[in-house]
Amino acid sequence: MFDTLEFTIDKFTFRVRTDRLYTDEGLWVLEQDGTLRIGLSDYLQQHSGDVAFVDARPVGTRLAAGDTLFTIETIKVTSDLHSPAAGVISAVNPDMVTAPEKVNSQPYEEGWVCELSPESWESARTQLLRPETYFEKIQQDAAKELEKDGD
Amino acid sequence: MATKKVVIIPCSGVGKPFGTITREAAYQVTEDDRPEDTRLVPLSLLVLGDEDAQAALTEAEVISIDGCALICATKMARESGGQVSRAFNSMDIYRANRDLKPKGIAELNDAGLELARKLAAQIDQAVDELTGKADGNA
Repeated sequence: MFDTLEFTIDKFTFRVRTDRLYTDEGLWVLEQDGTLRIGLSDYLQQHSGDVAFVDARPVGTRLAAGDTLFTIETIKVTSDLHSPAAGVISAVNPDMVTAPEKVNSQPYEEGWVCELSPESWESARTQLLRPETYFEKIQQDAAKELEKDGD
Repeated sequence: MATKKVVIIPCSGVGKPFGTITREAAYQVTEDDRPEDTRLVPLSLLVLGDEDAQAALTEAEVISIDGCALICATKMARESGGQVSRAFNSMDIYRANRDLKPKGIAELNDAGLELARKLAAQIDQAVDELTGKADGNA
C-alpha cells in the first residue's frame, strides 16, 4: 500500500502518490532500477478530461530534457507533455494504444505511459518536485481555478 | 408472445459533444432504425426516480450509451433496477474513427453526426442480437 496525499475541492478529490517525483506540468516520475517510469498525475488527468489517444514517441527515441515525450488528446484538449530528463525511451505502455482510458482510471498504476533510460539523472532529478511540493502547488492551482470560475 | 421493447438509455450530459453523440445515436435507433423493437428512456427521468421510467426497465433488455468515463447511464440503469445487456460509450467509437473530430453541442458538426451514425449501427446490431433478429428470426 502506498501513501497518498489527497484533497477535495468542490466535488473533485485529487490524489498525489508520495513514492515518486513530479514535473511542474503534472507528470509523475518513478525511478525503478535506473529507469524512469512516467505517467500523468491524478490532478493532470482529471484536469485534462477523458483521454481518447496517447501518442508516445517510439522506443529508442533520444530526447533532451524538455523535449516532447508524448501527446495526449482528450475530449477537452490536445497537449504535449515534456520529458523530465534527457535520455532514451526504453518502453511504451501497450495499453496506451488499446486502452488509453487507463490514464484516467489508474493514473498511478496501469495508466503509466512510457519509460525512459535517463542520462544525467542525478542533476535532472533536482529539477523535479517532491510530492509534498507538488501537492501544495496543485492545491493552490485548484483554488485559483475555483475562484476564477466563481467570478 | 408479446415481449418488452429493448430500452435505450443515452447520456444526459449537456454541453459536451460526446454526450450529444449518444443522444443522436439513440434517436436514430429508436425513431428511424428500430422503432418497433426499442424505446428511449431519458436518463433524467431515472435520476428523478420516475416510476414509469423505472418500470420500463423491469424485465427488459437495456442498452446504455455513455458519453464519458463516469458512465452515468449504465450506473443509473443498474441503480434503477435494470439489467444492462449492452453498454456503449461514444468515446470508443471516436477512438476507432480518429479522423472524425466531433464538435458542437446543441448541433453536432458533420464528423459528430457521422460518429453518431456509426454508433447507431453498432446499437442496431446489438438490438437485433437481443431480439433474436440477428439470427434471421423476424
